[in-house]
Amino acid sequence: MNVLVLLAIILFVSMIWIGGKKGARSFISLFLNFAVLLVSVFIMMDPHANPIIITLIACTVISSINLFYINEVNNKTIIAFVSTVITVAILLLFIYFVTKKAMIQGFGEEEMDEISVIFSLYLGVDFVKIAAAVIIMSTIGAVTDVAISITSPMQEIFNQHPSISKKELFTSGLTIGKDILGSNTNTLFFAFIGGYMALLIWYKDLSYSFGEIVNSKIFSAEMITIFCAGIGIALIIPIASLVNAHYLIKIRGKQSDDKIIQR
Amino acid sequence: MFGVIVIFYKFKNMSLNHIIFYTIIFICFITSIYFVYHNYAFYERPIAKVIQTNLEDSTDLKDIHGNEDRIFTQHIIGEIKNGEEKGRIIHLTNEYSLSGAYDQPYEKGNELFVSFEKNPNESSTLTGNITDVKRDKYTVIVAWIFIFTLLLVGKKQGLFASISLAVNILLLSYALDIYVRTDMNLLWICGITVVLFTVISLLLVNGFNEKTYAAIIATLLGTFISLLITYLAMRITSENGLYYEEMQYLTRPYRLIFLAGLFIGSLGAVMDVAISLSSATFELYNKNNDISVKALKESGIEIGKDIMGTMTNILFFAYISGSIPMLILYLKNYSLLGFTLSINLSLELARALAGGIGIVLTIPIGLYTSIFFINRKREKL
Repeated sequence: MNVLVLLAIILFVSMIWIGGKKGARSFISLFLNFAVLLVSVFIMMDPHANPIIITLIACTVISSINLFYINEVNNKTIIAFVSTVITVAILLLFIYFVTKKAMIQGFGEEEMDEISVIFSLYLGVDFVKIAAAVIIMSTIGAVTDVAISITSPMQEIFNQHPSISKKELFTSGLTIGKDILGSNTNTLFFAFIGGYMALLIWYKDLSYSFGEIVNSKIFSAEMITIFCAGIGIALIIPIASLVNAHYLIKIRGKQSDDKIIQR
Repeated sequence: MFGVIVIFYKFKNMSLNHIIFYTIIFICFITSIYFVYHNYAFYERPIAKVIQTNLEDSTDLKDIHGNEDRIFTQHIIGEIKNGEEKGRIIHLTNEYSLSGAYDQPYEKGNELFVSFEKNPNESSTLTGNITDVKRDKYTVIVAWIFIFTLLLVGKKQGLFASISLAVNILLLSYALDIYVRTDMNLLWICGITVVLFTVISLLLVNGFNEKTYAAIIATLLGTFISLLITYLAMRITSENGLYYEEMQYLTRPYRLIFLAGLFIGSLGAVMDVAISLSSATFELYNKNNDISVKALKESGIEIGKDIMGTMTNILFFAYISGSIPMLILYLKNYSLLGFTLSINLSLELARALAGGIGIVLTIPIGLYTSIFFINRKREKL
C-alpha cells in the first residue's frame, strides 16, 4: 500500500472521530484546495497568463473554501473573506516588488545540477511572478485562519455589548489579534524550516561560509518567505478588525434606523 | 508639520523605558542597514557594483517542446568593491532569458559576486564571470519590515514573537552544527531541540502558569505520537510511494532527515492547537470553578472542531506551495502528470498529512492534559 494513502486514511479517520461532519468537511477541503492549486499551476503554464492575477483568483477560491465550506456563509466568514482578499492584494504587490529586487525567482544552484541536464529552462513563463505566487500561496492558509479568529470573537463581543463604540470594537479586534500573532508566525516558521531541513544540513555539510549562505538564492528566498508570511499575518489583524468594526457599526446604524421608522 | 507634532506628542506621553527601547531598535535598524550597504570588505569573494549595462543581442528561442523564449545578452561594466582589485573596472557578460528560471537582467546599482578571468596583460581591463547576486541587503530590509510590522501591530506580543523567532533560528542552527560535527543520531538531536523549542516558545509567549505547562505536555505528546504513527505507516508500507529524488544532493541518509523535518515542521501547528485548547479550557474553569468535566470536554471538542480544518490547511499550503516552480518545469518539459506529482510532491504531501494527524490528535491530548491539571488544582482547593 502507498504511504500517502495510508496516512490520508489515518487522517480521515481521526478527523471524523474528533470532528464528526465538520471533520469530514475539513478533510475534503484539503482535496479541494489541492485541486485548486493544481489547476492554477496548469493555467500558469500558459505564457500569456499573468501568474499574479491567477494567484489572486486562486487565493479567493481557496479562502472561500476554507471559510465558507468548512464553516458556513455568515457575517463572520464574509468579513473574514473580504479582509483576506484585501490583505492578499496588498501583500502580492509588496512581494512581487521584493522578489524582483532580490532576484530570488526560479531555481537555486543546488537544484540546477540535476535539472539543467534533462530539462529545458527556457519556458517562456515569468518565474519572478511565479515566485511571488509561491510566497503568497504558502501564507494564504495562515491569513484566512487569523482573519476568522479575529472576526468571530469580535462579533461575540459586539453581541454582548451592543452599544460598544467603533474604536473600542477595533481595539478589541487588535487585542485578539496580538494574542494569536506569535503562535501563527511560529506555525509557519516551523513548517518552512521543516521543509528545508535537507537544504540547511547540506549548507552545513559543505561548510558554506555565513556570507555564502546568506546570499544564496534558496536561503534568501526561504527567509524572505518567512518574513513575508509574518508581515501578512500581522497585516490582516488591523485590516480584519477595521473592516469588521466598520461593518458591525454600520449594521447597528441600519437596525436603529429601522426601529425609528417602525415607531 | 502636523505629523511631527503628533509624533512629538506621542513621544512625550511615552515612558522612559519605551523611549529607550525604541531608540535602541532605531539605532539597530540604522546600523544594520548601513552595514549591509557597506560590508564589501567582509566578503572574500570579489564583488562588483554595476555602473553601466548595454543590451547587445537578443535571439528568439524555441525548445524541442515548442516553448518559446527569448535570450538576451547584456554587456556589463562594473566597479570592484573589495579585495586587491578594489576600485578597478571590470567587464562582464550576462545572458538572460525572458522567463528567468536561472538568470535575470542586471541594472545599474546591482551588486554581483564575480570571479576574475586570468589576464596575461596586467594593465588591460579586467574581465570575469558573474557567480551570484549579493542578496543580503534585501533579506535584512525585509526582516526589518517584518519586525516593524510586528511591533506596530502586536506591540509587546509582537516583540516577543520576534524574539522567539530569533531564538529558534539560533537554536536550530546550533543543533544542526552539532549534528554535522558529531555522529549523534539526528532524531535524538531533533527530539531535544523540539523540547527546547516548545518550552521556550510557550513560556515566552504565555508565561509560567498551569495553562502553559498543560500546553507544553500536550505539544510534546502530540508531536511524538504523530512522528511515531508516520514512522509506523512508513514501515508497514515499506515506504511505497515516497520518492526521495529531491533530496538527492545530500550525502546523508535521506529517510532520517525527512523524518527530522517532519518532526520539526508540524511542531508549530501542534503548539498552536495545544495552547488554544488549554487557554480555552482554563478560561472556562476560571469563569466557573464548578464546571463539570463533561462540559469542559464538550466545549473543548467544539473548539477543536473549529481549528482543525484551518490548521491542517495552513500546513498544507506552507508545504506544497514551494513545489509550484518545479511542477511547472516538469510539466512544461512534457513529463507525465503522475510522474511529476510523485517526484515533486510525495514528501511534501507526507509531511502535510503527518502534520495534520499531529494536529487532530493534539485536540484530545490537549483537552485531557488541561482537564488533568484543572482536576489537580481542584483537589488542592
